[in-house]
Amino acid sequence: MPGERVFMRGVACLCALQFMLAAPALAGAADGDSKEQAQRQATQPLNNAPVWRDVRGGDVNRYQTTQVRGVETNVLVQSEGEIWRQIRNGPITVYGGWLLIAICAIIAGIYYGKGAIKLHEKPSGRMVERFNSFERIAHWTMGISFCVLGVTGLIILFGRYLVIPVLGYTVFSWLAILSKNVHNFVAPVFVVSLLVFIVIYVKDNLPEKGDLAWLAKGWRMFAGEHMPSGRFNAGEKVWFWLGVVALCLVVSATGLILLFPNFEQGRLLMQQANVIHAIAGVLVIGFSLGHIYMGTIGVEGAYENMRIGYTDEAWAREHHEYWYNEVMAGKGVAGGSAPSTAKAVSVKEGWKL
Amino acid sequence: MARMKFLSDAERCIECNGCVTACKQEHEIPWGVNRRRVVTLNDGVPGEKSISVACMHCSDAPCMAVCPVDCFYKTSEGVVLHDKDLCIGCGYCFYACPFGAPQFPQDGAFGLRGKMDKCTFCAGGPEIDHSPAEFRKYGRNRLAEGKLPACAEMCSTKALLGGDADVIADIYRNRVLKRGKGSEIWGWGTAYGKPAKQPGAKS
Repeated sequence: MPGERVFMRGVACLCALQFMLAAPALAGAADGDSKEQAQRQATQPLNNAPVWRDVRGGDVNRYQTTQVRGVETNVLVQSEGEIWRQIRNGPITVYGGWLLIAICAIIAGIYYGKGAIKLHEKPSGRMVERFNSFERIAHWTMGISFCVLGVTGLIILFGRYLVIPVLGYTVFSWLAILSKNVHNFVAPVFVVSLLVFIVIYVKDNLPEKGDLAWLAKGWRMFAGEHMPSGRFNAGEKVWFWLGVVALCLVVSATGLILLFPNFEQGRLLMQQANVIHAIAGVLVIGFSLGHIYMGTIGVEGAYENMRIGYTDEAWAREHHEYWYNEVMAGKGVAGGSAPSTAKAVSVKEGWKL
Repeated sequence: MARMKFLSDAERCIECNGCVTACKQEHEIPWGVNRRRVVTLNDGVPGEKSISVACMHCSDAPCMAVCPVDCFYKTSEGVVLHDKDLCIGCGYCFYACPFGAPQFPQDGAFGLRGKMDKCTFCAGGPEIDHSPAEFRKYGRNRLAEGKLPACAEMCSTKALLGGDADVIADIYRNRVLKRGKGSEIWGWGTAYGKPAKQPGAKS
């Protein structure tokens, strides 16, 4: 076959070329690179690695140019994208997905195995103020925007694997466009409410004396035994510091980098921000599932605290004994007002409970 | 079926930007979107070389792998195309692409991204061949007319080759043998170094 012979001759000549060719095909870009390339040619003929490394770093090389304007248009090859793809499509999607499924399973196991934590005493009918209206508005602005961001974020991360098989490409695309835009526009609301929330809640979440004891024995509440605590118990404080402060601030900061690509940030920064955003996002969503469970069906009476701002005296004594004692001593602590039945009546009428 | 590939010969490119202009003209691409660009290495210093780059239609395309709505598909000729009706403009393909191929027309304030636009190897999109909708969204479908990409056809020094991989590889091999240097086929390792995903398969 003539074609085959030509090809074999080509291969032979290329092999020969490797040994004969001293000059690099592409000289190094900057002077330092040229020298490195020259040295490389002496030791490893035809190895142009220094040149190709330079090709990948166009943004820092003023000798690498293009007529097209835009972010990193003078970079020929960016290999970080491949790493980003491996991390995002790999551990984040796989482990993140299973983590959330595992947390849901654990919560379901607790709920159906142990049941909700009930109030042991009979409600006294006398109500104590637990959260004032500003605190509740801050909590719910953050909470509702968090849920919207969480759901839309999960749709964008897992929808391709979970929703497309069910709804098909066209409907999912519509859902994803909605998710992207809602995610983008709700995000600033979340960031602002997060900062307000942290400022007004930080005082009562500072570490206190009984916290370590609570952490050691707090799990017993699932067995119906309560450790005394201040306005917030140590579990709630862990959620505040790890979930709200640390993870939500990380998610907000990385999210803002991704939200405004018009500041000409490079791809590497956006890839890193995306990876951190997704990891922190999945973790805080998993964390929040626990909080939402405890705040709604997991603990009897907990939801009403944040919904109407008042709690029954019996609930306060059982769940937050130190705080209740301070309220009763009239120390003017946050929330706390003198218990009264009038409040209970008005609250019940007001909210039609 | 032939496997379509691009090949840019750095020994021949004279940085005339004819390919960029041909592409813009052929597909009536809006301002701010550049499906193809020419990058010059060592600009103004000895050893200056230029390379024309666009979507390389990778074997294992990273854009395809990361798209949240799975809007990419691969034709039986190995051309990577996408469905703009599905695209949500998230920018993930831009993060993943080694060549900076995906382009985003700005769609609103704060750099909000519109639907992604990229080189189609002059193969149009999922719409009916030569339909007005196909032209509006993806540009001309030259492959369906039996022609090769406009950029490569236009190239005055034939530095940019586009077409059947076996044919253009043969042309390039002959050039390397004749001139005795410049054996790097720029970008081929990155684009075609991995095993191909099943053509036409929605994975």
